[in-house]
Amino acid sequence: MSDLNRLGKRGSYRLGRLGTPPAAPKSPPSPHYPTWVPHHRGPVGLWLLACLGAAAVIAVGALVGWWFVPFLAGLAGGVASRAGGWRLRVALPAAVLVAAAGWGAALGWLALRGLPEAAVARVIAALAGLPAHAAVAIAVTLLVAAIQAAAGLWLGRALAPGPARPVG
Amino acid sequence: MRRVLNVLAALLVSAAVLALFAFGYGPVPALGRALDPGHGAWTSAAGGQPIHSQTLSLPGLAHPVTVAFTSHGVASIRAADDDDVVLALGYLHARFRLTEMDLERRLGEGRVSQLAGPAGLSSDKFELRLGLLRTAQAEWAATPRTSPGGQTLIAYSRGVNDYLARARRSGEWPSIYGLTGVYPSAWTPVDSLVLQGVLTQQLDYTTTPLDYAILERTLGPAHTMAWFPILPPGQQSPYDPGPYKNRGLAPIAPQATAVTTADVQQRAAAPAAGPGTDRGGGVTAQAARAAAAILAQADALPPGLIHQYPDSNAWAANGPKVAGAKAMLACDPHLPQTVPSIWYQAALSAPGLSVTGVTVPGLPGVLIGHNAHIAWSLTDTQNQATLFYDERTSKSHPGQYFWQGAWRRMRHVSYTIPVRGGSAAHLTVNITVHGPVMTQAGQTTSVDWMGNIPSPDLTVLLAVNRAHDFAQFRAALAGWRAPTQNFVYADDQGNIGAISAGYYPLVRHGDPWLPLPGTGADDVAGVIPYASVPQVYDPPSHVVATANQRPVGPSYPYYIGTSANFFDPGYRAGEIYASLHAGSRMRPAGFAAIQLSLTDRLAQQIVPQLLAALRHTHLTTQQQAAAALLHGWDATMAQNSAAAALWWTFWGDYLRAVFKPWWKAAKVPVRKDPPGLAILPQSQFSLDQVLASWTADDPANSAFSPPGGPHRTAPQVMQAAFATTVAHLAATLHGAPSSWAWGRIHSRQFPSVTQADALGYGPRASGADAWTVNAADGGLVSHQGPSWRMIVAWAGPGTATGEGVYPGGQSENPASPWYEDQMEDWWDGRYLAMPPAAGYAAGRVVWSLRP
Repeated sequence: MSDLNRLGKRGSYRLGRLGTPPAAPKSPPSPHYPTWVPHHRGPVGLWLLACLGAAAVIAVGALVGWWFVPFLAGLAGGVASRAGGWRLRVALPAAVLVAAAGWGAALGWLALRGLPEAAVARVIAALAGLPAHAAVAIAVTLLVAAIQAAAGLWLGRALAPGPARPVG
Repeated sequence: MRRVLNVLAALLVSAAVLALFAFGYGPVPALGRALDPGHGAWTSAAGGQPIHSQTLSLPGLAHPVTVAFTSHGVASIRAADDDDVVLALGYLHARFRLTEMDLERRLGEGRVSQLAGPAGLSSDKFELRLGLLRTAQAEWAATPRTSPGGQTLIAYSRGVNDYLARARRSGEWPSIYGLTGVYPSAWTPVDSLVLQGVLTQQLDYTTTPLDYAILERTLGPAHTMAWFPILPPGQQSPYDPGPYKNRGLAPIAPQATAVTTADVQQRAAAPAAGPGTDRGGGVTAQAARAAAAILAQADALPPGLIHQYPDSNAWAANGPKVAGAKAMLACDPHLPQTVPSIWYQAALSAPGLSVTGVTVPGLPGVLIGHNAHIAWSLTDTQNQATLFYDERTSKSHPGQYFWQGAWRRMRHVSYTIPVRGGSAAHLTVNITVHGPVMTQAGQTTSVDWMGNIPSPDLTVLLAVNRAHDFAQFRAALAGWRAPTQNFVYADDQGNIGAISAGYYPLVRHGDPWLPLPGTGADDVAGVIPYASVPQVYDPPSHVVATANQRPVGPSYPYYIGTSANFFDPGYRAGEIYASLHAGSRMRPAGFAAIQLSLTDRLAQQIVPQLLAALRHTHLTTQQQAAAALLHGWDATMAQNSAAAALWWTFWGDYLRAVFKPWWKAAKVPVRKDPPGLAILPQSQFSLDQVLASWTADDPANSAFSPPGGPHRTAPQVMQAAFATTVAHLAATLHGAPSSWAWGRIHSRQFPSVTQADALGYGPRASGADAWTVNAADGGLVSHQGPSWRMIVAWAGPGTATGEGVYPGGQSENPASPWYEDQMEDWWDGRYLAMPPAAGYAAGRVVWSLRP
């Protein structure tokens, strides 16, 4: 007991001296060698073109009132990315960006036609009880598209047939 | 197995996301639909674009109509017949003010919760209980469809619905609808009549009798009537100085006889006593509890719906008082200041109709303005129009009340209130012969409110719009019932006048400023005959002015209300009359100077007495510096005036120093209704007036000595209050007293009708207070004041020059260039030329409306 009472004081035993001896060191982890060998199938340019097309479809869908198109695009993207061998860490940001770009393009198109979208964005934010800045309403709007696309992507990948690939 | 779980989870999450975005959940709107860039809330951008000339097809028009817009969006509508002109006005109101109209309609019809969710339920229940919708329905049911009023309402509704149909086709709705997914239903004549009811409620519905009940119960009847008397103690400036004639009553109940002012004064002249000596009076604890319950309901309403502040200035002058004109009229109605404004400016022209001025979105016709021959405006008369009744009920007679010697069955009306994001609420309203039962807490209490009597205001307004002279004007107003208004008049022949049209309810027995027994003897027995209501025509002084002051002198033979929250103390009226009497050969610029006056006449009266009191006491250096500021002050409540800040703060401290000990001793439950019970400067008009009177004429009044405390006089209390004021301002504003500018503690604010803070205007530092002609009501953050300034000068027959301005703009869309474009002009005291009565034939933008 007297030893324990002296713990933490000058000249006391160190805790390590009281414990069991340390385990023998393990073998060092194997080094990670990044590889640039593509996992996907098909040329990247084609995939990028598909993304652009999807963004355009999402934008047109928004303008005609089909608010759910980002979900459908995400769904299609999920199936395609699975079949195309794209990893989730690539497919997910791509789907989210494509959806946001689609709705962003729709807003941009309306603004280019002279509509006061920034002022309306401020109104929307104010009415929703959010900080009354245009960026807030625009961010929330794009987030709604992105969430749809992410959900669609998940469902598409889950439903898509094919050999399971490592996720990550 | 893992894959199956993954699929199930993905399906579940996807379904949840889609369901949430498609239908919303609870208060969360359907975000997918709401934020779709092409169709949700974003579509309101189209309504914010500057308009351009175009041709529109409007079903229901009989002939083509042109609408010319000024650079500020003021519309001149020219049509070939009356129905077309109001149809076009309905279309314009909906195009530029749909949200405002719809919110007001929802407010009156108890449908706020449908849009705003459970937060609106208290307001909905209150309004359905009060009965604006029932009154509007009854009025429409009694309106012949072929009558001018009926045809106008139908045509107007058609115009609104033409715009709603267009919005449905284009999907271009104001943001609030895209965001909530709750869209406006078709407009009906009943909706317009409900809006008329909402306006009437704002101007005419008071809870003052309930405050009186609580004050009597706590302070005792003697102190209550001494401090909240029927007739105010100070000198008044009635616009109708008499002589008066008692013509009995106009029939509501033919057997009635009037309770005169003399009668009520006699009853009020009971000897004074301290709190507790006669506490309780005739007000039972149950009645006081019921009063508190009704006040709590009212507290849940949006601001401005219970009439609290006196509203408006209007005056006219002729003869030697004007130059370059035969007669002139000026007005500035003081109403809750919102963006968008309550007003939409327009000129309406059709065969037999040429009128220009301000309209109220939701209602056809010009409320304030001029036609080719007459100009008019209105201020609130402020008479008592709300009476509360304590109904006698019994457990042995459930659902019944005792009236006129027999048990009567209450009428029941049931409502289902849809609630966005929640389940529908149900409400059953019990109705007695007096009106709706407002509470059954403690005491079943009903309300007899003049606004619940159908009033053909619209028909009257249309007749006023067409009147050519005072005889026609006066004849038209004979049908006006509520809200009681002082209509001020000036015409192209050089005549001026005023008439306070509307219902003044009178009872045979009882004190109408308190809740009355509901057994029959104290019922409203009739109203003042139209021939006896306050009025004046071409007065020998060549001026007439109304600023919500008591319109008649003390010898007026009818009871019309007390000094407590009914009539203005008359400081504004006094200033206007003083300026008009002092002036001669005035021009519009002279009238504008009066409208913009920041002189506080109560300060003129009290500050010299304060300085006299300070001469007899020791002052600190800081107090001396503050007093020096008041020495040279001209009683102008300018934004940069430190003396103004000192005066306003002092007056509040002085009021509290005198009355708070009494309130505390009597345990007045201020929190039940702060506007009606708290000791606030420029809120309790009675207290302002009695204190001013005692200070001048009765400085040793017993009220200066607190209950159980040492003897005090007015100068002693003023000295103490001044010390408090200086200490308070020093702690709040720091620095030298000369830096304590009024604008550092006083501002004006214009909230958005949507109640979204960021869409409003201000708060912005401002001068003025409640007693200045350029009024700022509501305390340190004012949200009520001049809502429309207008000056009309009649140079000769059919020749008027009108100018006007209101804070805000013609469009309710915050993205529109017409949202706040008149605000700076209003703020700086500039006026814009009004379209002539016949309107402009051309403009920067012209719409051609085709059948």
